[in-house]
Amino acid sequence: MLWVDKYRPKTLDKVLVHEDIAQNLKKLVTEQDCPHLLFYGPSGSGKKTLIMALLRQIFGPGADKVKVENKAWRVDAGSRAIDVELTTVSSTHHVELNPSDAGFQDRYVVQEIIKEMAKNRPIDVKGRKGFKVLVLNEVDKLSREAQHSLRRTMEKYSASCRLILCCNSSSKVSEAIRSRCLNMRINAPTEGEIMKVLEFIGKKESLQLPPGFADRIAHQSNRSLRRAILLFETCRVQQYPFTSNQAIPPMDWEEYVSEIASSIFKEQSPKRLFEVRGKLYELLVNCIPPEIILKRLLYELLKKLDSELKHEISHWAAYYEHRLRLGQKAIFHLEAFVAKFMSIYKGFLIETFG
Amino acid sequence: MSQDIRKWFVKPHGIPAGNGNTLKQEKPLTPEKPPVVQEAKESSSRRKTSKYFAKDAQSVKDEMEVEEVSEKKAQKGSTGSASEKPPSGKKPRKFQISDDDDDGDDFATPTLRKGLVDASPNKKLKTESGKGVARKIADDIDEDDDQTVKSNAKSAGRGRGRGRGAKGSAVTQITVESMDVDKSDAEEDMDDKDAKPTKPGGRGRGGRGAPAGGRGRGGGGRGGFMNFGERKDPPHKGEKEIPEGAPDCLNGLTFVISGTLDSLEREEAEDLIKRHGGRCTGSNYLLCDEDIGGRKSEKAKELGQVSYFHLLLYLVISRTFLRFCPSAVIIVSVSFYVFFSTAFLTEDGLFDMIRASNKSKKPVAKVAPSPPKKSPQKPEKSKQTGQTVTNSDTKGLASISASSKRKNQSTSLPWTEKYRPKVPNDIVGNQSLVKQLHDWLTNWNEQFLDAKNKGKGKKQNDSGAKKAVLLSGTPGIGKTSSAKLVSQMLGFQTIEVNASDSRGKADGKIERGIHGSTSNSIKELVNNQSLSLKPGSSQNVKTVLIMDEVDGMSAGDRGGVADLIASIKISKIPIICICNDRYSQKLKSLVNYCLLLSFRKPTKQQVAKRLSLIASSEGLQANEIALEELAERTNGDIRMALNHLQYMGLSMSVIKFDDIKQRLQSNSKDEDISPFTAVDKLFGYNGGKLRMDERIDLSMSDPDLVPLLIQENYINYRPNSGSKDDNGMKRLNFIARAAESIGNGDIINVQIRRYRQWQLSQAGCIASCITPAALLHGQRETLEQGERNFNRFGGWLGKNSTMGKNNRLLEDLHVHLLASRESNLGRSTLRLDYLTLLSKRLTEPLKKLPKDEAVERVVEFMELYSVGMEDFDTIVELSKFKGHPSPLDGVLPAVKAALTKAYNKGSSSRIIKTADLITLPGMKKAPKKRVAAMLEPVDESLPENAENEEENLSDAEDQEDDLADPEKQQKLQSELQSLNSKAIKVQMELKGSASSSSKKAPAGRGGGRGSGSASKRKR
Repeated sequence: MLWVDKYRPKTLDKVLVHEDIAQNLKKLVTEQDCPHLLFYGPSGSGKKTLIMALLRQIFGPGADKVKVENKAWRVDAGSRAIDVELTTVSSTHHVELNPSDAGFQDRYVVQEIIKEMAKNRPIDVKGRKGFKVLVLNEVDKLSREAQHSLRRTMEKYSASCRLILCCNSSSKVSEAIRSRCLNMRINAPTEGEIMKVLEFIGKKESLQLPPGFADRIAHQSNRSLRRAILLFETCRVQQYPFTSNQAIPPMDWEEYVSEIASSIFKEQSPKRLFEVRGKLYELLVNCIPPEIILKRLLYELLKKLDSELKHEISHWAAYYEHRLRLGQKAIFHLEAFVAKFMSIYKGFLIETFG
Repeated sequence: MSQDIRKWFVKPHGIPAGNGNTLKQEKPLTPEKPPVVQEAKESSSRRKTSKYFAKDAQSVKDEMEVEEVSEKKAQKGSTGSASEKPPSGKKPRKFQISDDDDDGDDFATPTLRKGLVDASPNKKLKTESGKGVARKIADDIDEDDDQTVKSNAKSAGRGRGRGRGAKGSAVTQITVESMDVDKSDAEEDMDDKDAKPTKPGGRGRGGRGAPAGGRGRGGGGRGGFMNFGERKDPPHKGEKEIPEGAPDCLNGLTFVISGTLDSLEREEAEDLIKRHGGRCTGSNYLLCDEDIGGRKSEKAKELGQVSYFHLLLYLVISRTFLRFCPSAVIIVSVSFYVFFSTAFLTEDGLFDMIRASNKSKKPVAKVAPSPPKKSPQKPEKSKQTGQTVTNSDTKGLASISASSKRKNQSTSLPWTEKYRPKVPNDIVGNQSLVKQLHDWLTNWNEQFLDAKNKGKGKKQNDSGAKKAVLLSGTPGIGKTSSAKLVSQMLGFQTIEVNASDSRGKADGKIERGIHGSTSNSIKELVNNQSLSLKPGSSQNVKTVLIMDEVDGMSAGDRGGVADLIASIKISKIPIICICNDRYSQKLKSLVNYCLLLSFRKPTKQQVAKRLSLIASSEGLQANEIALEELAERTNGDIRMALNHLQYMGLSMSVIKFDDIKQRLQSNSKDEDISPFTAVDKLFGYNGGKLRMDERIDLSMSDPDLVPLLIQENYINYRPNSGSKDDNGMKRLNFIARAAESIGNGDIINVQIRRYRQWQLSQAGCIASCITPAALLHGQRETLEQGERNFNRFGGWLGKNSTMGKNNRLLEDLHVHLLASRESNLGRSTLRLDYLTLLSKRLTEPLKKLPKDEAVERVVEFMELYSVGMEDFDTIVELSKFKGHPSPLDGVLPAVKAALTKAYNKGSSSRIIKTADLITLPGMKKAPKKRVAAMLEPVDESLPENAENEEENLSDAEDQEDDLADPEKQQKLQSELQSLNSKAIKVQMELKGSASSSSKKAPAGRGGGRGSGSASKRKR
């Protein structure tokens, strides 16, 4: 089993990072009815883990008995019927789903499917906790319409159903929804915390950690605990015993993006742009989400960029990311960003060096 | 009946000899040539060319000899008129004109009409207004020649025959009919020339009929495709002054433009030539062979001509060659270069020629010395041109006077009515179809009516015979006219019912509905016929029903066609249906009951010929090039061409190329434009000169595809406007702006599709196509080594579908991982964070550890996470990046095979964690709804329900199959039962089903994927 999964804390008590939050959550659900919750924070900070632990806390081991279903719904939307296919993970007490998978039809998912699920009130023998939990992932990727419909659902069925929303950035969740939830900000763990976890795992696996090794991993993980653990295990697969100067392999796609960045720096020409397009396609085809590509690319570009330009380039990156979300064909906007960058950067080079 | 046929194909005053038999061709038909004829021949300049060709029929060697002879003759002959001609010795091949059969008088090179002027008094006649007559005579003569020719070579005859049909002078259409009756007559001027050598050529041209329409377009669009090398900018673009010449100074000359000109874009050069009455054949037709360019120049060198030539000037003959199917070109071109005369011109030479025409009085003196590089012929040509100019002047005068008289007489009838074909021969093109129609109509009574009279023996008829006929073709090419004409000829009374009629009647009985009334009228007609037959003391009163615009008729009501079919079945009169689009969905059923005759567009030459007849009889002066242009612009629609002609006739009496071009500028867009052509035009060198509406039309020609093509290719263009671009800065800026605009287009497109804001479509097309094209139009250049320099197909579609596929695979993997319950992760996390490690965990051991141990470990890991072999492949596939080593590199095939084997072996004892791998036997599709982990007895009924639902979902067909096969059904049930009873651990005898599932699953997925991507695209 992968270490990420193996050492994932199963209960709120065992949580290593964010212990305070875990304790608060525990109190929240044991003492009173739980409100709608919105977890947000960068990836790899432990949102999912907390949610699962929370569910277990509420429902006991029953929450563990999940089944995975790939369901197809036929939603009747006025003039036409729309087929929506979604993967759900469900136990008797909760259903977890990712409505943004339905693309721009997510509205129907919220309007019809979630409503339908929310309506069914589970019958509990003891007559208490008569509610069901709906876990919705990636709420920030929901379209505006979907978020609007979600808000109504939250109010109407609050008696029978609690929503736990999970997302990376709360700024993309509408105000209305945020105000209906208890917002839980889950910070990225500090490098110190990550090192602590890594050492904990090292001990459990009885590994020899050379000094500074955990430090380096923690640093490279960009404060994502999951990433750190995965990197740690990757190193383990690649070479053991560890040496203190062992190279930590980057993620394959990140490596690729940084290649793109350096090739952009080397030359700014239509020809290069064409090559970059090919590489961007390659990333997209390999299922890397375009937003991530753009973000990463910006990150790589900023590393080597003259400080004068940083501000401008960041602005353009934000601009194109916005357009990326408005549009549908990601490559157009990625390419537009690259073209823009090239033209700015080349102009800058000519200006400074003649 | 057969007599009738002959009647039409016999030309009015034709020579009886040839007419009768198709098969006779082979025999020498009319060896005798009346002296009169000869004269006429001489008169027609074109004739000469034909002779030239005719001779070489036999063999190359013969040709050469002949040529020499002819040259000599030519010299003799020409001395009179064109003494300035340079000694033929220099360029023996140049303008050989040889009339083997007749006399040496007609040397006058066909192209160069110089000889003609003096030689033929007739000529003037012809040109003025008596053209029709004169031509006919000429034609006859031609035919004679042809026939003689034919004796040698059938195929040549074909080419000839074509010409005749339309003229009405044709002697033996029938002879030719077998193959290309419908060929272009209009071209005949040219055709005549190619009679012999063209054998292959003649054929090619005939075949051209259909493609002809596309050709013009191809010039622009396909040019891109076929140009193998990159065409460079003219080095001195725009630096030279473009000369103005007499409008007809290049009359009768055909040019092939090749390579890069000095200062003109190719299009400009073409325009220039056409404006002055010359013809251009795009070098497209030469391009079928890559090294043909090389050959061109080689040959040219051989011929001792200028080593530097951009313009090849061929005799008119050459044109015909260029048209043939590619293979023909290759063959022909070789011999062509060797045996035929060509002239090579530089751009300057061309200019000189044109300029010279202005000083027509003393063209010789001027031109001859001027171009230093010129090949010796040039002087000749220029001379000629000078003379032609004078000709045309006189012509003009004469014709004007003639026309004024004419005009007074002319009635106010629209020309389309006035010149509606009166005899079948008048119909332009499609002669074979007309004949077929004729035959069908002729035999109709015998076949259907008589048989019936004899006693319901309908079945005896050969099954191929259809009771109705369906004529299809684009508007204005004479479908209705042919139908009426043929009916009239055969003495049928025609009843025409078209969409307007039936609707009109519908008003009377609204309660019956439109289709009701249509059917009534039809049935009535059908019955009428039977009635009229019975009392029919006059058997002659036959009726034919012409259902015009059948596709329009059913527009309101589908029942209309069904009813029509019913009528056809019971009909006792022949029914002719006419439609524009035979592949229309509405007519699908009708097609089965009809004999299908698809009318093709006549070639522009055919149309031009007819037009020129009409023009001259109306006293309009129009040169052939202009009319051809008109025909091309109207896309073969004679009716429209006539309307234009009549309109222009109101204000002018001489119609020139420029007039047509100006008037019909926008008309050419009515034809279908392929996305590639559209993009070519938008980005083309002259893209900046297009009007806005033209641009919108171009980009709207396919609003889905054009933006993709633009997006794919915009980087490749070097913008005109950034010509003085230091270090490419401007271009990069343009590209950035274009890219942003393309992005806007995408955003707008989302609004359009998602929120159905179709009013934005114009804005969308401006943003996604027009702006980028406006910024970057110019010369295309290649960015990659070995890339061909034409527009690539949009890569997005392919990539998008791959992306969709990979997403699906990833989702499968995701579900499996979730099902393993070891992990609870999102899909994007899986890709971004887990995948690197997963692929390492799966492949590293295979590389490093000894085989058995490695396999064992990997299988263990796979089972833990319920990763199947397909998922294994997915993981490997997704972590592959171009230019990076694949994770499977370094894994020996043997190890991989062992892994697969081990995994499959283990599968027999595998607990169903991933129940979606179950494919129920007898089920063709992978179930849509998959139940993955059934680890807990959560809800016993659920899995089963799920399965049942799947079954319901799956096609009824499948179910039928299942039911039909009891064995399968049983198996299925047992499967379900087992699922039911022990939901936790269903031990599958996965031997059969698992393996089958693994095979089937991808297929099912593939299907799903396909539709998925399709729907995405629709969005």
